[in-house]
Amino acid sequence: MLQRTVPIAILGLSGVILMLAYFSPLTTSWGETVLEWFNILAAVAFVLGAGNLLAVNLEKISSRRPGWAYAAITLVSFFLMLGFGLLKVGAVPNPAHPEVSFAGSYDTAESPFGWIYEYVFSPLTATMFAMLAFYVASAAFRAFRAKNTESILLLGTAFVILLAQTAAGMFLTGWIPEDSAFAFLRLDWMKVAITEHIQTAGMRAITIGIALGVVATSLRLILGIDKSYLSKG
Amino acid sequence: MNARNTNDDAGQPDGCPPAASAATPARPSLRFLWLSLAVLGASLTVFGTAMAAQDAGATDAAQATVALSKSIGIWCAALMTIGILTFLYKDNPFYKVCESILIGVSAAYWMVNGFWSTLVPNLFGKLMPSVVREYAIPSLPVSDTPGFDMALAFVPLALGLMLLWRLAPKGGWISVWPLAFIIGTTAGIRLVASIEADLLAQASATIRPLVVMKDSVLAPAAGGGSAATAEMAATAVRTVDFWGTVGAVTGVVGVLSVLSYFFFSLEHKGAVGKSARLGVWFLMITFGSAFGLTVMGRITLLAQRLEFLFKDWLGLG
Amino acid sequence: MNTNTHDRQGGGGGGSFLSRLGGLDRRWIFLAMGLSIAVPILLKLRFPEVPGPMARATFDAIESIPAGSRVLLAFDYDPASAGELQPMANAMVHHCAARGHRIVFMALWPLGKQMADATIKDVLLEFHPQYAYGTDYVQLGYKAGNEAVVKLMATDIPQQYSTDAAGAALASLPLVADVKSTTDFKLVASISAGYPGAKEWVQYANSANPEAFKLVSGSTGVQVSQLLPYYPAQMEGLLVAVKGAAEYEMLVTAAYPSADKPDLLAERLGQGRVRMGPQLVAHLLMIGLIILGNIAMVAGRSRGGAR
Repeated sequence: MLQRTVPIAILGLSGVILMLAYFSPLTTSWGETVLEWFNILAAVAFVLGAGNLLAVNLEKISSRRPGWAYAAITLVSFFLMLGFGLLKVGAVPNPAHPEVSFAGSYDTAESPFGWIYEYVFSPLTATMFAMLAFYVASAAFRAFRAKNTESILLLGTAFVILLAQTAAGMFLTGWIPEDSAFAFLRLDWMKVAITEHIQTAGMRAITIGIALGVVATSLRLILGIDKSYLSKG
Repeated sequence: MNARNTNDDAGQPDGCPPAASAATPARPSLRFLWLSLAVLGASLTVFGTAMAAQDAGATDAAQATVALSKSIGIWCAALMTIGILTFLYKDNPFYKVCESILIGVSAAYWMVNGFWSTLVPNLFGKLMPSVVREYAIPSLPVSDTPGFDMALAFVPLALGLMLLWRLAPKGGWISVWPLAFIIGTTAGIRLVASIEADLLAQASATIRPLVVMKDSVLAPAAGGGSAATAEMAATAVRTVDFWGTVGAVTGVVGVLSVLSYFFFSLEHKGAVGKSARLGVWFLMITFGSAFGLTVMGRITLLAQRLEFLFKDWLGLG
Repeated sequence: MNTNTHDRQGGGGGGSFLSRLGGLDRRWIFLAMGLSIAVPILLKLRFPEVPGPMARATFDAIESIPAGSRVLLAFDYDPASAGELQPMANAMVHHCAARGHRIVFMALWPLGKQMADATIKDVLLEFHPQYAYGTDYVQLGYKAGNEAVVKLMATDIPQQYSTDAAGAALASLPLVADVKSTTDFKLVASISAGYPGAKEWVQYANSANPEAFKLVSGSTGVQVSQLLPYYPAQMEGLLVAVKGAAEYEMLVTAAYPSADKPDLLAERLGQGRVRMGPQLVAHLLMIGLIILGNIAMVAGRSRGGAR
């Protein structure tokens, strides 16, 4: 009962309330309340994520697994940032209420939390994603092979887009008059045609397919047909 | 953690493993590298500090502190940037330290942000409004129905505590209740939104006139003719827009053919097979274009980091 | 991480140069990519941009609403995507302020609030110092909940945001005192790096009230494929990656130059165009790498056939 029936009922009820909220203004406020609870749980999920990080890294340190020193660094940076943020250490006082202890702003560069964001977190996360430029280049060299019609179409389109997105497009085909019968040979023209017609059509079909999948999955969950989530406990 | 974004798409091709892998025991050469980098980092920081102090020499103490803090910060950011980039050469302790810091700092950042932006005003602000007003948000609005709000707020509080039960070694089923709530809520809003925005609206956008017309202006004949004739000739006439029509037909054919490729209830043979094959071609062009745009995005991100190193750190340009 | 990922592949002793290309150490490719971006930055390569239809549509959408309209700018990205999206954010904030629109900032991403704060400081207050907090602009900040936040914004903003980011009650801020939902805005713009972002604004806010406000978006190159089906019916304007940013920057700076700080405006609203410089060289490198990889494959295959 507690392990199966109640969760199925909670899922069905929350789903149905939100569907009803859409169709009837009388139940809109119910839906809003459910959504507000959802948002609170989303914030709790951050705490859960941090808790998981702690558990994994503490276990790594206590069992002296390879790389435990890095786990220690992770934990030190975690607790430093957490302490600065939760306690609002060095926060800029709220101009309207300077006397209120925790009303200040903790995320400006003047506070330790904001400083770490600006000069540690931000460059680290930005550079981590910037690395993908290198991996894309390497993948292009190793994996993009014109083996059949499909791959030739893919590569040909990629070439057109890569050229048309830069000044190379205008340099190579910009001399063709825009109002001539051969304007379709201009790379910028081709790019617009590809993105606004072909790519849009392809993505539209994918979007419709995903929507059908979402509807089917949602219905299966709300109606209690799909109970796979019960095994997550 | 929040489900992350489409930025993860390219993943790490070439078999490059994701972040946070187990470290291998440091070899002597790597230890030396680590030590060197630490010394380098310390020297750079001291150098940066001295520079900042010099810059701030003529100004007052507060400005000097800000300048010092910024200078140290820029040096720190540069070291972090370089630390991550060193992985391109090979895995090394400097990279691993940066990676470990990133993981710790990001988890704390998200938790702190969730706490102050959502939990305090939306949960604790209802459970104990006077305490929140006294210590954190003095201007928190006063509710007309504080008792009712408080009673309602116990639901997410209970569900939240049950969600955190996942960290406990036993009683995993307790966390299934909030999980069911999260899944149910997501299913409820996605079901309607998908039908409305992605199914009906997309079908509607597909079903458009296949022949596209455009307004063409006929210039009046040169020389001669009355004013009335010239006016008639200069009025717009409706003609077929050739490329517009091609585009509209392409759009419809593309959507239908790709959908036929996704439709597995019929065997992909004969007309259905040909349509599905055409659908694959549309998909390949779609992916080719998406690849081109993705490359552009990746290059931009790297350009931004290099701009930082050249301009903000080294002062070039 | 293991170091094997960097090992040379294939290679072997003999064989022609082309057939040995397949075993090229990928660090050479990394070096080439790094140089192809670094050198144009150092040389300050810049090329003219011709605004495309999507950038024009975005510009026109912001132009078309009456001056002084209330607009909602959602900063749905973080520093990892700032290279692409910050130029759009800068130009959009300057554009809105130059038109006299009153701006409400918010974020669906935890770090989005920081990005909005930086834009307010570097662009809004730098070029429009007359903008007063509470009457001309408000920072609502971040809320956890992803699409549920958008859904709630569409029906009851005060329930979601009882205060602004600094803790002031919405009722005390004239700009948002009477705001009930997204329908009270003339325009909503999402500068979006992925989930949650522009797609969720279409699905949960715009679809419920398609006529109530205009929706525009600035998107990363990665995400834009997802958004194309919504343009132009559900989304009036769409800035596509850094090229869209560069085109939009051109339109905005041409229409609304700064009389007293032209150089600073050129710098702050020129980042997109600056980052288009490396694109040319890097794109050519990418094309070259793909062609070279294919040549190596053909060479390797013919070598294998000869054996």
